Amino acid sequence: MNELRPWLALLFRRPGRLLNGGLLMLVTLISGIGLLALSGWFITATALTGLLLAAGVQASINLYVPGGGIRLFAVSRTIGRYLERLYNHDTVLRLLSDIRVFLFRQLSEKPAAHRAAQPSSRWLSRFINDVDQLDALYLRLVAPPLLALLLTMLIGAVALWVFGAFTFLLVCGLLTVGLLVATLLAWRINRQRAGREDAQRDQLRSHIIEHLDGLAELQAAGRAGRHGARLLRIASQITRERASSDTTGAWVASITQLLVNLAVVAALWSGLALFQQDQVSAPLLVLLPLAVMGLGEIYSALPEPFSRLGATIAAARRINEQCLVASAAPPVRALPDGGAALVLDKVRLMKEQHTVLNCFSLCVNQGERVAITGRSGVGKSTLAEAIAGLVEPVAGQVRSIPLAFMTQNTVILEDSLAANLRMAAPDATDKSLWRLLEAVELQDRFSAEKDGLETWLGTAGRRLSGGEARRVALARVLLTPAKLLVLDEPFTGVDPARRERIARAVEP
Amino acid sequence: MSESATSGRLDQKRVRDWLSQLAAPARPMIRGTVAWGMAAGALTIAQMGLLAWIIHQAVVESVEVSELTVPFMALLAVLLARALCQGLQARYAAVSSRRIRNSLRRSFTRRLHAAGPVALGTESPATLAREWLDHVDALHGYFARFLPQMLLAGLVPLMILMVVFWLDWLAGVFLLLAAPLIPLFMALVGMGAEKLNQQHFRTISRLSGQFLDRIRALTTLQLFAADRRAADLLQERSDAYRRITMKTLRLAFLSSAVLEFFSSVAIAVIAIYIGFGLLGYIHFGPADSLTLFSGLLVLMLAPEFFQPLRLLAQHYHDRAAALGAAAELLDRLEDLPDKAVQKHENVRNADPGAGIVLDQVSAGFYPGQPVFSELFLTLESGSVTALTGPSGGGKSTLLHLLAGFLKPDQGEVRIFGLAPGEVRFGWLGQQPFLVHGTWADNLRLTTPDASDVAIETALRQLGLGGLIDERPEGINSPVSESGAGLSGGQGRRLSLARILVANYDLILMDEPTAGLDPDSEVYVIEALHKLAVQGKTLVFSTHQPALLTLADHILSVSGRGQVLDTSRGGRHYE
Repeated sequence: MNELRPWLALLFRRPGRLLNGGLLMLVTLISGIGLLALSGWFITATALTGLLLAAGVQASINLYVPGGGIRLFAVSRTIGRYLERLYNHDTVLRLLSDIRVFLFRQLSEKPAAHRAAQPSSRWLSRFINDVDQLDALYLRLVAPPLLALLLTMLIGAVALWVFGAFTFLLVCGLLTVGLLVATLLAWRINRQRAGREDAQRDQLRSHIIEHLDGLAELQAAGRAGRHGARLLRIASQITRERASSDTTGAWVASITQLLVNLAVVAALWSGLALFQQDQVSAPLLVLLPLAVMGLGEIYSALPEPFSRLGATIAAARRINEQCLVASAAPPVRALPDGGAALVLDKVRLMKEQHTVLNCFSLCVNQGERVAITGRSGVGKSTLAEAIAGLVEPVAGQVRSIPLAFMTQNTVILEDSLAANLRMAAPDATDKSLWRLLEAVELQDRFSAEKDGLETWLGTAGRRLSGGEARRVALARVLLTPAKLLVLDEPFTGVDPARRERIARAVEP
Repeated sequence: MSESATSGRLDQKRVRDWLSQLAAPARPMIRGTVAWGMAAGALTIAQMGLLAWIIHQAVVESVEVSELTVPFMALLAVLLARALCQGLQARYAAVSSRRIRNSLRRSFTRRLHAAGPVALGTESPATLAREWLDHVDALHGYFARFLPQMLLAGLVPLMILMVVFWLDWLAGVFLLLAAPLIPLFMALVGMGAEKLNQQHFRTISRLSGQFLDRIRALTTLQLFAADRRAADLLQERSDAYRRITMKTLRLAFLSSAVLEFFSSVAIAVIAIYIGFGLLGYIHFGPADSLTLFSGLLVLMLAPEFFQPLRLLAQHYHDRAAALGAAAELLDRLEDLPDKAVQKHENVRNADPGAGIVLDQVSAGFYPGQPVFSELFLTLESGSVTALTGPSGGGKSTLLHLLAGFLKPDQGEVRIFGLAPGEVRFGWLGQQPFLVHGTWADNLRLTTPDASDVAIETALRQLGLGGLIDERPEGINSPVSESGAGLSGGQGRRLSLARILVANYDLILMDEPTAGLDPDSEVYVIEALHKLAVQGKTLVFSTHQPALLTLADHILSVSGRGQVLDTSRGGRHYE
C-alpha cells in the first residue's frame, strides 16, 4: 500500500476539489436513499391512515411535507448526479495532467546518462499503461469507500437514535462486515493474481515478438505450429487466471450485496419486535430497511476496483522504481585548459559490456573541425555520446566547453516547426529561424506551407521524409549559442549534392 | 461529411456482424449468462415481495414476529439464491468470453503462419503482438458484460412490469409510459456514452500522446536544456484540452441525467399515487384495491425496473473499447490469407536425390511486376550454390521461393520432390533470432530432442565455447544475463549453431557473412565448409569472395529477372 502514498499525496494537493466532488456524490447518494426511504415511510403512513378512515375513525395526515420531500429528493438526485459527474470528470482530467506533468518533471530531473538515449517502445507502452492505472485512484478507490463508510455511520446513527442499541449493533455489524468484504477481502483474495498478471503478460508479449521475429527459422524447421501452440497455451492460462479472478471478484460482489440485504432483513426483524412493543411507529419501521437497501448502490461500486487493487499497486511500484528513486546528479563537467574546446584524457568507454575505446585521448581547439570515421559498429556514436555526456566513461576524463549535440536518431516533437526549432533557443526570432531553414534548404519547403513556421510536425501533423527531418534537426542544433557542436551522422538520408551545398552554407 | 458518416456506420455494422459471428460458438454460455441474470431478477422480485408481505402482515394484520419465522426463513433462502445466481452469471460470462478470445487467438495465429515471414516482414512485431494480446483482450467486456446486459436490459424490466401490472395496473401504466421510452433511453444512453467515450478517449490519447512524445524525446530536450519548458507546456496543453472536453461533456452527461431523471420521477410519482390511493383519495382505476403489501412492493420494484438500464449504460464503454479494437483486428485478419498451413510437421518421405527444381516459375511481390518470369532452374542435391548480383536483383526473392515463404504466381518449385515447406530445412536470416532463455533453449527451439553434447559441440564449432565456459551452468545458463544481448556476429553464429544441431539436408542463407566482425566471419565460413563437405545442399546469397570459392555454382541474379550460371561459362537460365 505504501506504493500508492506518493500518488495519494499528489491527489490531495487539490483538497478543495476532492471535497466538493465528494460532497456532490454524497448529496446524490443521500437523495437516492432518502427518496426510497421517505416514499416507504409515506406509503406506510397513508396506508394506516387510510385504514383508519375506512373504519370511520377520524384521522389526518400531513401530505405536504413528505410529498414535498419526495419531490425534492427526486430533483436533487437528478441534478446531483449530473453535477457530480461533470465536476468529478473535470477533477479526473486535472489529476490526469497533474500525474503526467509530475512524472515528466521527475524523469527529467534524472541525468540523461542514467537513461538509454532512446527508450524502447516496449518500455514506453508498459510505462504508459502503468500511468493510466493511477488515473482512477480517486474516483474508484478513495471516494467510494469513504462515502460508504460515512453513509453507514449516518444510517447507524439513525438506527441508534430511533431503534436502540440492539438494532444498531445488528445492522451496523452486518454492514461493517459487508464493507470489509467489499474492500479488504476483495483486495486480499485477488492480490497475488492481480499483482503478477502484468508481469505474465509482458513475458508473453516478448514471447510473441520472438515468435514473429523467428517465424522464418521456425517455419523452416517445421516448428512454427508447435511454438505457436505454446504461446496459445500461455495466453489461455493467463486468460483463465484473469477469468477466475474476475469470477472471484464477482462472488465477492454478490456476497457484499447479500450482506447488505441481510442488514435489510435484520433491520426489519429487529424493528418488528420494537414495533410490536409500540416503541417504533410503522412508518419508521419501514423507513430503516429501505434506507439500508438504498446503501446497496454505493456498496456495489466497491468490490470491482478493490479486486484490481493488486494490479494498481504493482503498477505504482514499477513507476516509483523508475521515477521516484533519486539518482545522483551528473558530475559537473570541467572546462578544458587554454584555448581547447574539448579534451578527452585517457578515456575508456564500454558498450554492452564490451570495451569500445581504451586509453583514448583527443584535444580539439576552438574553431577546429574534427571528423571521426570508421566502420559501423566500432563505437563512433558511443564516443559522440560520451563527449555529449550521455555516456559516462569508465575511466579517464572528458572536459569541454558547453556544447550542443545532434543525436544519431532524429527526434522531432509532435509540435509546430517553430517549437521544434526553438527547443534549442527559446528566444530566437522568426527571421533567424528562416535564415537557418534557408541554410539547410528547407525554406522553400515550409514557405509553401500555409502555416509557415507554425506547420505542425510529427505523426499527427505534416510527415517529414527522413532527410527533411534530419535537416530540421540540423537547423535546430545550429540554432544553439554553443561554441562546440557534436554531430552524429548529420547528413543521414540527405543526398550527396545537397550535403555539399548545406555543408558550405553552414560554414561558420 | 455525410458520406464518411455513412461509411462509418457501415463499418461499424461490419464490425458488429463479425463480433456476433465470433460469439456464435459460445452462444450457449452467453444464453446461460442471461438465464442466470434472469433468475437473479426473478429472485429480486421474490425478495421484494417477501419484504412487503412481512411488513403487511405485521403492520396491517398485526401478526406476531414469532409467527413470521417461515417467511423470514424464505426471505433468507431467496437472498442466498440471488447471490448464487449473480455469482454464476459472472462465472458463465467469464467462461464464454475466455472461450471466444481463445478461439480468436487460434485463428489469428493460423493466419499469421499462413502469411509467412515475408508477408509479415513489413509489420512491426510489437504491433502484431499488441493486436494478438491486447486487442483480443479488449473484446472481453463486450462478450462478458455488454452483450448479456443488452438482453437483460430488455427482459428483466419486462418481468417486473408484468408483476406491477398484476398488482396495480395504473402503476403499471406509469412504468409502461416509461417502457416505450426504453428504446429511446438506450439510444440516448448509447449516443451520450458514445460521445463521451469518443471525446474522453480523444482527450486521453492526445494527452498521453503528448506525454509519450515528450518522454521519448526527453534526452534531446535535456540536451537543449528545454525539459522545464516542455513540462510547463505539457501542463498548459492539458489544461486547454480539459476545457474543450468539458464543454462537450456538459451535453454528453445530459443523456445519463435523463435516465436518472426518469427513474427518480417514476419513483416519486408512484409513491405519491400509491399514498393518495391508500388514503382513498383516488376514485378511479385499481387504486381502491391497493394495500400496504401491493403499494410497498410496487415502490420497491420501481428502482429495480431501471437498474438493468443503468448497468447497461455503465457497460457502454466496454462496447466502445471492443468496437475500436475489433475494427483493427478485423482489418488485420482480412489482410492475412486464411488458408491451412501445410502440415509439414509430420515429414513426408522426401527424396534427397531429386534435387531442387524450379519449373517455369514466375513470382514477384506485387501483381503485374514479376521479379522472375518463367524461370527454369535445377540444383543437384549436395551442391553448394552462391547467388550473387546487385541488391534488389532478386537474390532474396529466389531464396524466399525456395523456402516457400513466397508462393510462385505460376510454375512449380520442388524441393527433393516435394513442395517447399514440406521438407524441413535450415534458414539463416540477416537478423539474429534469439529467444529469452538459455543457450540450450535457443538451440532446442528448432531441434527439441538435441542432446546436451550435440548442443555444446555445435556452439564450440562456432567459437562460442568461451561464452559458455565463463558460466558455471554451461549451456544451461542464460544467453544474456543482463539482457544486453550478444553482438550481431555472435547472434549470427548462434543461429548457425541451431542449423548445425538440426542436421538438415537443405540450408538456405541470406548473406551469411554480411556485416560480421572478422572473428565471426572465419567461424561462419568454416562451418559452411564443413556442411558442404558433409554433402548438404547449400544455397546462399553473398558477395564475399571467400564464400564464392566454396560454391559449386555461382548464379548471378540480375535485376531483369535473369539468372546466369557464371561458374559454368555463362549458362543461361530464364
